[in-house]
Amino acid sequence: MKYTARQPRTNHNVSPVSPIRELLILLGGLVASMVLIYILLGLGADLLVQHISPQTEQKLASFFGSKKNPGKGQSMEEQWLQSLVDQMETKKCVQLPYPITVQVSPSKKVNAMALPGGRIVVLSGLLKRVRSENEMAFILAHELGHFKHRDHLRGLGRGLVFAVVSTLIGGSDGALSGLVQKSVQVSESSFSRDQESAADRFALDVLNCAYGHVTGATDFFKHMPKKQDPGALGHYFSSHPENQRRIKALIKLQRQKHYHEGKRLPLPIKEGKIKKSASSP
Amino acid sequence: MYDLLIILSLTALGYFAGGWAERRHYRSIEKREQELLHIPAISMKSVPYPGEEVAAAEMVHGSAVISIDYFKRLLASLRNIFGGTVASYESLLDRARREALLRMKESAPGADLFVNVRIETSAIGKASGKRSVSCLEALAYGTAIFLEQKP
Repeated sequence: MKYTARQPRTNHNVSPVSPIRELLILLGGLVASMVLIYILLGLGADLLVQHISPQTEQKLASFFGSKKNPGKGQSMEEQWLQSLVDQMETKKCVQLPYPITVQVSPSKKVNAMALPGGRIVVLSGLLKRVRSENEMAFILAHELGHFKHRDHLRGLGRGLVFAVVSTLIGGSDGALSGLVQKSVQVSESSFSRDQESAADRFALDVLNCAYGHVTGATDFFKHMPKKQDPGALGHYFSSHPENQRRIKALIKLQRQKHYHEGKRLPLPIKEGKIKKSASSP
Repeated sequence: MYDLLIILSLTALGYFAGGWAERRHYRSIEKREQELLHIPAISMKSVPYPGEEVAAAEMVHGSAVISIDYFKRLLASLRNIFGGTVASYESLLDRARREALLRMKESAPGADLFVNVRIETSAIGKASGKRSVSCLEALAYGTAIFLEQKP
């Protein structure tokens, strides 16, 4: 019997799978399980948020930079905004378990944020667009509404859950975890439509309580140029292009609750300077 | 955002460049294997010829280092989550082993057979905790036997 050496016809050591197909299947599975975990843990975070004490929240706040003392080192604009918030609190229109500090941050974006630890950050781009005190008060009251409903923690909870999940799956230094974190940062979640509507309703009540009328509540939405780039507008507009819906909802609520119209108070800020006593209660 | 673009383009580069290099390498491997097919390389410890027929015996080795690419690494890290066969690394190991074996054969021209052939694999450049693309080395070694009279 003669033996002839020959090569095997197929390579048994390499699985005959298409790499692209494998990638799609694995990525699809990963995305599906991430979504499932996100939904489940997000629901868990929503439940948890109700039970986070103000003390714990203060501790969480340290992750977001140090908090300035109210009245110390605040600019003229910040002092004015602070006085508006303080006014709402002294009139007992808003009751929060901790004091609120207002900070102005230089940015071209038109936005305001509610951060853990009772910090409202107003971007200077927004300040430039505001035309009356009532309008600004509505925006601040809207942010206070987020604190009242603990939306700021809810958003944080989801973000934290996502970061934790991706770290668990890929390890903090894996290529995959980097990919997940980058895509999370790109699609940085905002408050939901319901949360915004709830904050709007709260702000309308606060505005009526503080000023005795609700003039100026819908001004801000109307002032915005219609074809403004939504990405540059932050959470006031980007997550809900339907300004008209919010305006209508506010007007409807105003009628239901029989809130009156009143006089618009002018802005105390002119060219960066504050007229004295313009905003005193 | 830019980081995401960088990762995506590196992955695409890995898929196209890595795939091209792999196909090219396999063509070379298959051609050379065919040429060296008539020289047996076996794992037996003993020489299947009487001692007086052996003119010389020499230890020979061949090694090959193959790098993984971003695409293969992405596939493997996805596999790490779900478990199963890491098909993307299989071709790397296969190429490294066959290349090492070929280089071992090529390092002893005129040998009639290789006995006691062993293949070993190790990972190199694998810094733990750092984002580095590591590579693997396959080392094939054995004893080349030169016979007095050609069989």
